[in-house]
Amino acid sequence: MTTTVVSPDERTSSRFRLAGLAHYGVVWTTLGLFVLLWLTSDVFLTGANLRNIVDQQSLIVIAGSAMTLTLISGNFDISVSATLINSSIATALVFNATGSAVAAMAVGLAVGAAFGMVNGLVVARLNINSFIATLSTSFVFFGIGFLLSDRSIIRITDRDFSDIARGRDLILTNASWVAVVVVLVFWFLLDRTRFGRHLFAAGGNPEAARLGGVRVERVVITTFVLTGAAAGLAGAFLASRTLTAQPSDDFSFVFSVLTAVIIGGTSIAGGEGAVWRTVVGAFFIALLTNGFNIHQIDPIIQRLVQGSVILAAVAADNWSRNRGRST
Amino acid sequence: MSSIIECRGLTKRFGGTVALDSVTAAVTAGTVHALVGENGAGKSTLGKVLAGVHQPDDGGVFVDGQQVQLRSPRDALSMGIAMVAQELSLVPARSVMDNVFLGQEPTRRGVLDTGRARRRFTELATRYEIDLDPTVRVDSLSVAQQQRVEILRGLARDARVLIMDEPTARLSRTESDALLTSLKALTEQGVTVVYVSHFLDEVLELSDNVTVMRNGQVIRSGPTADEDRTSLVEGITGSRMDAAYPARATVADDATVVLRLNNLSRSGEFEDVSLEVKAGEIVTLAGLVGSGRTEVARVVFGANESSSGTMELAGRPYKPSAPHQAIAADVGMIPESRRTEGLLMQRPVSDNVSLPHLRRFSKTGVVDGTRERREVSTATDNVQLTGATIATPMFGLSGGNQQKSLFARWMIDPPKLLLADEPTRGVDVGSKRAIYDLMVEMAEQGMAILAISSEIDEVLGISNRIIVMREGRVVGELDGASATDSELMALAFGLDEATQGDRESLNE
Repeated sequence: MTTTVVSPDERTSSRFRLAGLAHYGVVWTTLGLFVLLWLTSDVFLTGANLRNIVDQQSLIVIAGSAMTLTLISGNFDISVSATLINSSIATALVFNATGSAVAAMAVGLAVGAAFGMVNGLVVARLNINSFIATLSTSFVFFGIGFLLSDRSIIRITDRDFSDIARGRDLILTNASWVAVVVVLVFWFLLDRTRFGRHLFAAGGNPEAARLGGVRVERVVITTFVLTGAAAGLAGAFLASRTLTAQPSDDFSFVFSVLTAVIIGGTSIAGGEGAVWRTVVGAFFIALLTNGFNIHQIDPIIQRLVQGSVILAAVAADNWSRNRGRST
Repeated sequence: MSSIIECRGLTKRFGGTVALDSVTAAVTAGTVHALVGENGAGKSTLGKVLAGVHQPDDGGVFVDGQQVQLRSPRDALSMGIAMVAQELSLVPARSVMDNVFLGQEPTRRGVLDTGRARRRFTELATRYEIDLDPTVRVDSLSVAQQQRVEILRGLARDARVLIMDEPTARLSRTESDALLTSLKALTEQGVTVVYVSHFLDEVLELSDNVTVMRNGQVIRSGPTADEDRTSLVEGITGSRMDAAYPARATVADDATVVLRLNNLSRSGEFEDVSLEVKAGEIVTLAGLVGSGRTEVARVVFGANESSSGTMELAGRPYKPSAPHQAIAADVGMIPESRRTEGLLMQRPVSDNVSLPHLRRFSKTGVVDGTRERREVSTATDNVQLTGATIATPMFGLSGGNQQKSLFARWMIDPPKLLLADEPTRGVDVGSKRAIYDLMVEMAEQGMAILAISSEIDEVLGISNRIIVMREGRVVGELDGASATDSELMALAFGLDEATQGDRESLNE
């Protein structure tokens, strides 16, 4: 590089150092937790336990990778739970009707993408705050789920269908491998493509992005479609894993996903974040839960700790934002 | 006569710039005192120091002969000084009365005493002849009425001095006349009004005393009766030194017209704007803030749509409906506010520079990082971006370097037309010169540049031609090399018949 470096003043450099430390904070904390569990438990570092942890987090990681993009674009997608449920119902129905696993999984994914498109259009075209928009569409989607399933649990009778999610190759389950691929795809999309750059720009400063030639509306819609598709894929794997699909209006999945994204350090203010962060966030929560279970700690305490950790993560984000960027 | 406020040797610095340079002035009780000067002359800063918004680095403020420390607007208010800001600070969804008594609501044992509030409101409104319905929501009022709410709020706090920053800038003619009448009425009730304005007619008509400022210094301060328009303009502009500007771009005789606007209008913003910019030419849109200059540029860039009229780019009809279309048609823009409209502050320099050119650097949507870094580095070297690498986050750069990054953006795949809105705003003197050099260099390479500037020196220093706008219309055109500041000011302010005669001959 030919640009010369003039030394910034002391205050600036220490600010960069602090921000840098906070930058990888979640990684050190997760590694620390890993070592702690390794030292305090015999069962933690066994193949079966680790495989379980990864498998349990796979659906959250699949949806979370995409949700990271939504947050970077400056939006939320609360409807991920409803999409997951509908896709699992659609997958189960199609598989029972056709016996084709490929068709069933493809329909699950497509239903998610279609729901995502609805969200994207509502947010970008009608200009409705994404939190409110996707909360509203959630209820609509939940309703569709009850209609699709005729308000009953759908059982998949062919037990071989569960191999799609539960089958194992090279140590990990298929669902885990799919999660790995999804992470890599979104990582690449965010870091290496024009779409990724436009996404950071649109989330960081929509007006500057627009004046820089970014079609902000289109970027936002694409992000919602991708998030819907990822939630749909997760729903299809859920159907395979459980061999059932049932309608409900349970929001818990989206909150697990959001928790992973936010603890990872992707900013809820938009314009900043990374897919690897969400992966680390998901495993931080998984290790915490696993540790509590191994050490048989009261589930109520788990809730208290988990809530506090989310607050701490957001507070740390605010802190580094105010420190580092208020120039 | 007794002076209610006096400042002695006030100095205020913002970073490296001296906004107030040892300012000494006195305001007589019960008068209207005007502060005039160019943008950046320090008049608003002085107003804000008196209102406790800014604290001076040196010197003192005296109220009724006693030195006071005004550490906050609250301190100033306790001394009876209230500010009516340019950007009003009311709560839109609450009623007029709620806003007037905000923060000091009359209560009885902690419960709001509506009856007393209403009586006090009526009393204030009658005494100061301000006619407002206390029950309506503030957001249903016009700007002029909101201003009255703000004035009343100051008076409800027993303010004896009202500081107003450009109070008429956002008002229509009749509204400002009404405001000026009521300010006059206030002084009859013993209130003192300090008001910052660049509308010289108003100042001459309304004020009792006037303080003329230039470059942070007081040029003179005295009775308005001793001034006329010419003396004010001279005082405001002074005898200018020939600032450090590069030689003007030379425009070839056969240069093609790059941009042509034919009677372009956008309702409510500007009307019937026709102009031409040739290849290699720097044309500056001059005029007061709010005269419609930025609005024209935004339409040319596709950020807003025109309501009538046509545009031509390089001889072809041109009508972008979004900025990405303008960029594809080879038009670039450096927006008015780099922070809110130009830059992604958390992203590295490189992302900011390459943003509009990603298609050029990518194959099937995948960005070729090596090529991007190479071209961005060349561009940042061209603009002499020093003290940072292309990987430095934008928030780590000085204002000058941030602005240079925006110029670097258009060094890659240079557009035919560059719109540069306030190209040197908030930039230190050294970077200013560097930016002027860049603009001339870009023009010499055949780019057409349509600049917008509020700094008269800059307008006179860099332009080949100057187009002056006032109230949404083009009011005249001047030759950059021969124009003088008083000609420019006369057009921008809309001065008297004699100058108008000159202007017409210039237009021929």
